[in-house]
Amino acid sequence: MKQSKDPFEAALEEQEESPPDSPIGQDELDSQTQNQTPAGHHTLVDDDDYDEIGTNVDNPSHQSSNPTPMLLTPSVNANVASAAAASKNKEYDDDEEEENVDVELGKFPSSADPAKMAKMQAILSQFTEDQMSRYESFRRSALQKSNMRRLLVSITGSQKISLPMTIVVCGIAKMYVGELVETARMVMTERKESGPIRPCHIREAYRRLKLEGKVPKKSVQRLFH
Amino acid sequence: MSNPSTGTSSKSKVGSSQPSETSFKRKRGVFQKDLQHMMYGFGDDPNPLPETVSLVEDIVVEYVTDLAHKAQDIGSKRGKLSVEDFLYLIRKDLPKLNRCTELLSMQEELKQARKAFEVDEEKLGTTE
Repeated sequence: MKQSKDPFEAALEEQEESPPDSPIGQDELDSQTQNQTPAGHHTLVDDDDYDEIGTNVDNPSHQSSNPTPMLLTPSVNANVASAAAASKNKEYDDDEEEENVDVELGKFPSSADPAKMAKMQAILSQFTEDQMSRYESFRRSALQKSNMRRLLVSITGSQKISLPMTIVVCGIAKMYVGELVETARMVMTERKESGPIRPCHIREAYRRLKLEGKVPKKSVQRLFH
Repeated sequence: MSNPSTGTSSKSKVGSSQPSETSFKRKRGVFQKDLQHMMYGFGDDPNPLPETVSLVEDIVVEYVTDLAHKAQDIGSKRGKLSVEDFLYLIRKDLPKLNRCTELLSMQEELKQARKAFEVDEEKLGTTE
């Protein structure tokens, strides 16, 4: 983990996901050791779209604890993101403004919602080390686009899988994983269990998501016959 | 009840409406490394159980498969598969939809930014 820079600088140019409102809260964030973030950073390297700009960032001023200068967003994003942010589901903290853009390209105005940015900043500054490490994993982790593309090609049989399609599907899949893991954690607290999540929790979470209709109905049942 | 997380398995596309050109061998653990970090980020242990990761991978692959099949069904009416089909499929799920539009707009502006950067470099090159 590059401690010389804020850990979010390298990550933020792509992972602008707002953390979902976890139903458990802070309970599971205790006593978690530092995650293997060097490997986590590795996922960004595969992302040929996003990492070039991020690594060029010149930010000597970011040694201080205040990361606000790095919360730059291109103006284009502001216009589109404001429309998206306005309609955003309220249970998500809007953290999309944290994009790391090469400052040589010009200082862009921050995204439409400085109030939410400020709120996010206030929250982030109070994170413990464990929470910060987990949040960093959350932001930086991603499914590899190459693997996803390979999977999509094999499913559809067509070679013409565009890059935006791969990106979209990776994003959808990541959020799906999030739903699964969080529901599994809820199941665990209900059963008053602790420790790593076990497959039975995931299966129960999957069943609940299916009842809620968040899992698309399959024409042929392949799992859990 | 078949346990999807046991052993090595080559998963051929059973029950797919489209005929596959070859039988597709899916290796185990395509997304394992990424999934481990992702699950930690979402609330699991720093080291999730391998069987849990395998199960989540299976579920995700199934989800993506179903999504892609449905998108293909929609897209076939239009002629070819496009991003719009996927967006249509998740239209009911607001967080996902918002996230996808955000990702797409980000990708667009990164493309613009990179293009602008290259243009600047060219200018610098000619003036030197």
